[in-house]
Amino acid sequence: MSAVTGTISEDAPTLEDDGKTVQARPAPRDEAARLGFRLTLPAQVLVLFISAFPLLMQLYISVTDLSPLSGLGWWNAWSLWNSFANYTDLAADARFWSALKRTAIVMIVCVPAEFLLGLALATLFADDFPGKRIFYSILLMPMMVVPAVAGYMFFMLFQSGGPVNDILSSLTGSPVTIAWLSDPTLALIAVMVADIWQWTPLMFLILLAGLVGVPEDQIKAATLLGANPWQRFVTIVLPKMKTIIIIALAIRVIENFKIFDTLYIMTGGGPGVATETISVYIYKLTTQDLIWGYVAAIALAILIVLSIVAVFAMKRMARARQVPA
Amino acid sequence: MADIVFRNVTKRYGGTLAVDDASFTVNDNEFFCFFGPPLSGKSTILRLVLGLETPDSGDILIGGKLVNTLSPAGRNVAMVFQNLALFPHMSALDNVRFPLVERGVAEAEIGTRVADVAAKLHIGHILHKPPAQLSGGERQRVAIARALVRDPNAYLMDDPISALDARLREETRVELKRIQRELGKTLIYVTHDQEEAMSVADRIAILEHGRIRQIGAPAEIYDRPASTYVARLLGSPMMNILKSARGEGGVEAAEGTIRIADKTAPADAVEIGLRPEDIKVRPWVDGGRADGASSRPARVFEVEPLGGYTVVTLEAGQARLKALLRGQPDIRPDAMVAISCEPARVHYFGQSGGALAR
Amino acid sequence: MSAIHLQNLVKKFGDFTALKTMDLAIADGEFMALLGPSGCGKSTTMNMIAGMEEPTGGRILFGERDMAGVPMGRRGVGFVFQNYAIFTHMTVRQNLAYGPRMRGAAKAEIDRRVGAIAEMLQLTPLLDRKADRLSVNILQRVAIGRSAIMEPAIFLLDEPLSNVDAAFRAVMRTELKQLQRQFRQTMVYVTHDQLEAMTMADRIAVMDHGVLQQVGTPLEVYNDPANVFVARFIGAPGMNLLKGRPAESDRGLIVDLGPLGITPLLPGELAAALRGARGDVLYGFRPEQALLVPDGQGLAMRVSFVERIGARTIVHLGQGEAAVKTVFDNDVGLAIGDVAVVAPAASSVRIFDAATGLAMKAG
Repeated sequence: MSAVTGTISEDAPTLEDDGKTVQARPAPRDEAARLGFRLTLPAQVLVLFISAFPLLMQLYISVTDLSPLSGLGWWNAWSLWNSFANYTDLAADARFWSALKRTAIVMIVCVPAEFLLGLALATLFADDFPGKRIFYSILLMPMMVVPAVAGYMFFMLFQSGGPVNDILSSLTGSPVTIAWLSDPTLALIAVMVADIWQWTPLMFLILLAGLVGVPEDQIKAATLLGANPWQRFVTIVLPKMKTIIIIALAIRVIENFKIFDTLYIMTGGGPGVATETISVYIYKLTTQDLIWGYVAAIALAILIVLSIVAVFAMKRMARARQVPA
Repeated sequence: MADIVFRNVTKRYGGTLAVDDASFTVNDNEFFCFFGPPLSGKSTILRLVLGLETPDSGDILIGGKLVNTLSPAGRNVAMVFQNLALFPHMSALDNVRFPLVERGVAEAEIGTRVADVAAKLHIGHILHKPPAQLSGGERQRVAIARALVRDPNAYLMDDPISALDARLREETRVELKRIQRELGKTLIYVTHDQEEAMSVADRIAILEHGRIRQIGAPAEIYDRPASTYVARLLGSPMMNILKSARGEGGVEAAEGTIRIADKTAPADAVEIGLRPEDIKVRPWVDGGRADGASSRPARVFEVEPLGGYTVVTLEAGQARLKALLRGQPDIRPDAMVAISCEPARVHYFGQSGGALAR
Repeated sequence: MSAIHLQNLVKKFGDFTALKTMDLAIADGEFMALLGPSGCGKSTTMNMIAGMEEPTGGRILFGERDMAGVPMGRRGVGFVFQNYAIFTHMTVRQNLAYGPRMRGAAKAEIDRRVGAIAEMLQLTPLLDRKADRLSVNILQRVAIGRSAIMEPAIFLLDEPLSNVDAAFRAVMRTELKQLQRQFRQTMVYVTHDQLEAMTMADRIAVMDHGVLQQVGTPLEVYNDPANVFVARFIGAPGMNLLKGRPAESDRGLIVDLGPLGITPLLPGELAAALRGARGDVLYGFRPEQALLVPDGQGLAMRVSFVERIGARTIVHLGQGEAAVKTVFDNDVGLAIGDVAVVAPAASSVRIFDAATGLAMKAG
């Protein structure tokens, strides 16, 4: 082994080894970058304005008692300034907190369920089997369904005289008449079932893309080294999919937090407030209670929470990207 | 006239010098090759000639005309890319026609020029095929035809045959040389394969860190490398470079294992270079005296038969050196042999690695 | 135990036959190169030995043991992939430890074995480096170490040098060969580069179009190619082959090459082999074994191209349709346009049947 001394760095010198640096004039690349910045400045200002304006408007409204009943335009809302009463009210609003808790429960159940189901399906579809293409198309269909239509579908399915109870009846042999959507607990379960049904395909799709991107040679190498399928999955496949898993989870956490349309059509947030999530609560405050200042405060609070989630996810992604597969 | 002249050209990217004070002249109709390790500045020089980059300082002249700020289109220099960049959805013919159609050349003229270039490159019979149906060598020729059809002043090739397998490369390089001869056009060629560079080039420029280290005909550079860096770059197996010292009656290297009876050796030599083919290997008989005093013993470490040649790795003192022998000599590992080298074949290098005149 | 026997091995992919009845015996501790152009069946053969693909017919024996149905994880073969297939999300240490860890070896045991193999491969200082930014020769060592730690009796290498820069290949070749000496395993090495096969292998199995063409030591396949394919594929440049017809001259048997004239007298045993032959033959000789001879004693051809490549000069000769390459020392003194008269050294002439492509030999 004594001949194994030449390393590639000796044989392939790089420019970085050169040690020569420039002092006098800036490199043309920097000039080009500066010109580029100047040229795109108007567009950047416009984008900034478009995204920042609604935010600033919300912030402004959230410290007022603005309501359609006040008869004032939003720009005049300063006369309705209520210091930070909306925020202190929010802190004490039990209905808000229980809606938040309910939203969190839905997320904690749905996202992991969608993830595990999606991963299982993706693993299945990474190999070939007869009829794969047809199953694939069928599997993706729920994602294409308009959420309102999905809500209607599940509304019908979970009627006390609906197909779900029919199936349960024929399974148990005695007539089942569960009032799914009228029972507080069962209604929440029904809503979650609908969400899982609709969004598992998306999870499946993203994870499948990640799964086929895992280098086949590395899986073969692991097999040759004696790893069983489960060991290969845990030591090679999952680590290689880390980035895509984080992306998939982040997308679904953020989307699931905003759960509204399917749910509203199925239960309207009821019975009572049993399935009232943050979005449903905001909807009711805006259209029924008409307290816009308060809604703005809630909207901002939620935005902050979601931003924290997004920033965390992006940081993880950036770190994961430093290690290319 | 399409000679290409660089005068003190420097090009930086951020803090790194990609081309460092390069001066050279590529003569009209010359096959000129740039050779060096990755990132030594080969590709940047091509980009400067093409006009894809402008020099930070220095002048570039094509055909006697200063082109520093001239756009690529104004230089009439054609490029054949490493991946050939043929349009896969077009037939070979449409690929070759493309540069002329693009420039709005009259249909009749396109016809004659394509026919002309197709005849020169022997591709008339494959022009109807799409690139996917062509062999590697054929695709190569189509790409060259596309570069030549607009009658450029000079053309550039960036490692154009590196994707072919070894046998095809051997044949294609000869073909390239023939084409260049027949076309009589200036060709600047970049390769990372030293055999290819020596085979095709009229002259080679050796690059290191963006600096030109030596320019000359292949044989000239091979026979008289200007430094240990250049010496190591050309030749396979590479030149043996050994620490040396003055000893009784000449120069000694490898702890006295090799003795060069050269009274005229430069006094400031610290290393000697021996081409593998210049090392004489004989059986070690009775202390080697029969072969004269300059032969010293070495142990055979490894024997690699190439068929027509044999590479023998020898252990001499603490050093390992390779000898290239003709034919299939009966030499086995662990045998003791006598090695020697004619003084006239020895290269001497000084403290900084530069070659020393005798 | 670690000898490999391929018996009537066949592999078909649908209608396409990738490998046609291959028989090959690889001895214990032997370095065997499977050499051929892409699509010749060499990788398919290797994959079947590794258990990545099922043979369509025939048997693979390791020692006495039939490997049919033995999954790839249980065959005890080390496999080095073309791109090395290093686990880039792990450190060098984790890569080396992977096999023992998957088999549930104890922590102390794993540490000991990783330490030993790292020491042997000079990887110790790199153990805690992430494996995604290592130079290619380090990657090769990690790939070999990762397999070697399992102490496989058989090592399979799939074109490990094909992604390596030409300049660096020589270093890697030496390194690989030394590793094989250290481990003394049976090695099967797949390559399309005849130089790699010649310089590293104990024996070479030359393959083309799914058919094993010849098995022999590097010098056997170089000196006595079994057929035209091997003659052309081995050597750089490959063997010169000129079409002609055997004919009697007043002094003995020669080959009449038509417009090129006649060859020098064929040596005795070749002449004997050719006596009964009818039809065209190919007159073959190695470019390195051509000599410049006086006018009238060889083939007179015009120099069409001269390549001086380092220590040797390749002179391309042509006359009409016929083309010959010769390799000389640099002092040959031939230039384009000169007429050279060349003849092969008598002992180096090989004759092939033009119809079958097979070498014609005495007896």
